[in-house]
Amino acid sequence: MNKCTDSEIQEMLPDLLHRALADDARQRVEAHLASCESCREEMEILRTVKSAAVFAPSIDVDRVVRQIPPYKAIIPGIEAPAWHRPVQWLVAAAATLIIIVGGSMLATRHNARVERSVRIDTLEPRVVDNSNASLPPKWAPVDSQQPIRRGARALARAHALALAADVDGLSDRSLVQLMNEMDRFDALPSAEPDPVISVDSGDSL
Amino acid sequence: MTPSPEGRPEETDMELINRWKAGDTRAATRLVGRHSQALARFAASAGEWQGIEELVQDTFVRAFASLDSFRGESTLRTWLFTIERRLMLDRRRAERRSRETVPVHESDQVSEYGALDGLIAEEAQERVRKSLEALSPTQREVFTLRVQQGLSYKEIAEVVGSTEGAARVHYHNALTTVKEFLRDE
Repeated sequence: MNKCTDSEIQEMLPDLLHRALADDARQRVEAHLASCESCREEMEILRTVKSAAVFAPSIDVDRVVRQIPPYKAIIPGIEAPAWHRPVQWLVAAAATLIIIVGGSMLATRHNARVERSVRIDTLEPRVVDNSNASLPPKWAPVDSQQPIRRGARALARAHALALAADVDGLSDRSLVQLMNEMDRFDALPSAEPDPVISVDSGDSL
Repeated sequence: MTPSPEGRPEETDMELINRWKAGDTRAATRLVGRHSQALARFAASAGEWQGIEELVQDTFVRAFASLDSFRGESTLRTWLFTIERRLMLDRRRAERRSRETVPVHESDQVSEYGALDGLIAEEAQERVRKSLEALSPTQREVFTLRVQQGLSYKEIAEVVGSTEGAARVHYHNALTTVKEFLRDE
């Protein structure tokens, strides 16, 4: 027996079994079956499989219907039972509280971080390009109007030492000048205006 | 609306649903009567051999409790099959869990179809039963939904949570297996 290659007809065989085909399609499939042994055999298998489903027990319809609860329409907006509403309010209140507390904590942390960074900024020596001066561009003139801050001197010294690696690039004259200026740091008055390390070409510091 | 055997026009599922919502309990009886045997057959062919009536009942209770979510985009029967299939999967999971904790006796180790032996009279049906047993669970579901229930591939895909293409492939593989099994017998 040759295997049928008309897949379109084969697809329709279960529909023919369930009388789900339109008249023209049904006539086409039936005409094909008359001449195709392979499809007739397949149809016979499908019939047997369909009839084999009869072993299912019969269902007591009334018994099933008795278990079905009466219909309760769900109307949008009022479908939540009365006991359910306080729970919803509690959940909403908890969510609001979490948002407020969390937000304020984040804001506090952020402000503290900003304040700290501002403080550090003001303590750091400013390094600017001072191309007009005869000194290397790393040193800026002191702004005498800057507020004095505690610990500025120690920090300035540390920065000056930290810059030691760059000292190689200085000329002998600049180096001598820098050493002189560093010696004078300790002699600075306590009301020194700015922690900025500054080397001026003039005498005043 | 198709005519009923008595000549009266047959009400559609949606019309019956609306009547039930309006308080007509007879509409529920009509709906259950219309679909309960198909659900029982699907359960049986899917391998359920105990408590089919309870399964069908649970399916209807669930379905009627959530009828507002049924939009009529598929047929009611397809929707019912989907609910029933989920219940069957839940049952099997629960059985698997209980099997892990309760020791299984030799006599309990029968196949899902074994208990149906007394129910199947004809030899041809027995052969079909055995051939279906050779299929994978998904192939069996797809094959029986197509052949025994007459569902389209689109509807089958909805029930088993797959695609039309996958359902088609499962059907053809199942048919090949069943054919070979029946030829070899």
